[in-house]
Amino acid sequence: MSDQHQLPMEAWEQAQTLAINCPEFKPDVEEEWLAEESVSCYNCRYRRLVGGGIRCMKSLFNF
Amino acid sequence: MKFYLCIDDTDNLDSIGTGTIAEQIQEKIINRGYGPCSLVSRHQLFIHEDIPYTSHNSSMCFCGEAPDGTLNTIIELATNHLDTVAAVGSDPGLCVLAYDDRCHYDELMEFGIQAKKKILTKDDAMACARDHQIHLSEHGGTGQGIIGALAGVGLRLFGCDGEIKGALKNAVINQNYTVADLKNLPEVEQVLDLTSKEPLADTTLIRLGNRSKTVLYHHQYVLFVRRDENQQYTSLPKAEIRQLGEHFYV
Repeated sequence: MSDQHQLPMEAWEQAQTLAINCPEFKPDVEEEWLAEESVSCYNCRYRRLVGGGIRCMKSLFNF
Repeated sequence: MKFYLCIDDTDNLDSIGTGTIAEQIQEKIINRGYGPCSLVSRHQLFIHEDIPYTSHNSSMCFCGEAPDGTLNTIIELATNHLDTVAAVGSDPGLCVLAYDDRCHYDELMEFGIQAKKKILTKDDAMACARDHQIHLSEHGGTGQGIIGALAGVGLRLFGCDGEIKGALKNAVINQNYTVADLKNLPEVEQVLDLTSKEPLADTTLIRLGNRSKTVLYHHQYVLFVRRDENQQYTSLPKAEIRQLGEHFYV
């Protein structure tokens, strides 16, 4: 999969905006949260950690 | 008898987390009259496309005390619980070690360290477990979780890896605490300066930032803090803790 489907680490504001507007956002167990903002792709159950960032398992990253 | 217990790959996208299951197993062990048990530590393993983890590839480990001769009971308790609650589509693995201070666990610790850097196989895990007479069992699916379960025990023994589950959850964010206050919490045994790695005096004030965690560092639950330009100490956020890297700890 190309990088356009991946969010780099520390894109905190972008991840928050994406998650607020995402119909599929579901918080992961708090132990696995990374972002300070509760609603963030980094805290979503449907993100998968990959080398250098996260990928959306609902395929909703389309930058 | 001191024992170490670790589980991995018990969840799917909609289930309870592996850390919660580890705490449930711990509760059953304590209800049986064994213990005390340690807090649960979360060990981050290798992130790679070819590893079939759910979302973050981490395993959950704790250790505890139990009467001699109870190892099989502990294994049975954990097995029954895993078989009951492990999520559909998961690949759970269980590792239980009865610690023997006459044994050397260098190879097991190295297995854990390697599991953070490269892809290991079930055969690698089984061979290592056999060499050290460690209980390692699959509980459905591909059983791939035995790799992380064994690695978690190795890393907990190593003593310089892993976040403490639930740490600082009840502390008030942006509030100042003395080091002595923090050390009264069960999840904080030491407060260290990030740069010098030296302990701070009990009277030092620490501002607790958001999403901070204690980590296992030289077998202690440690809160790392940083001094800013105003000489104020603040705890590190979790995202930063996870980026410290393995070289920081050794």
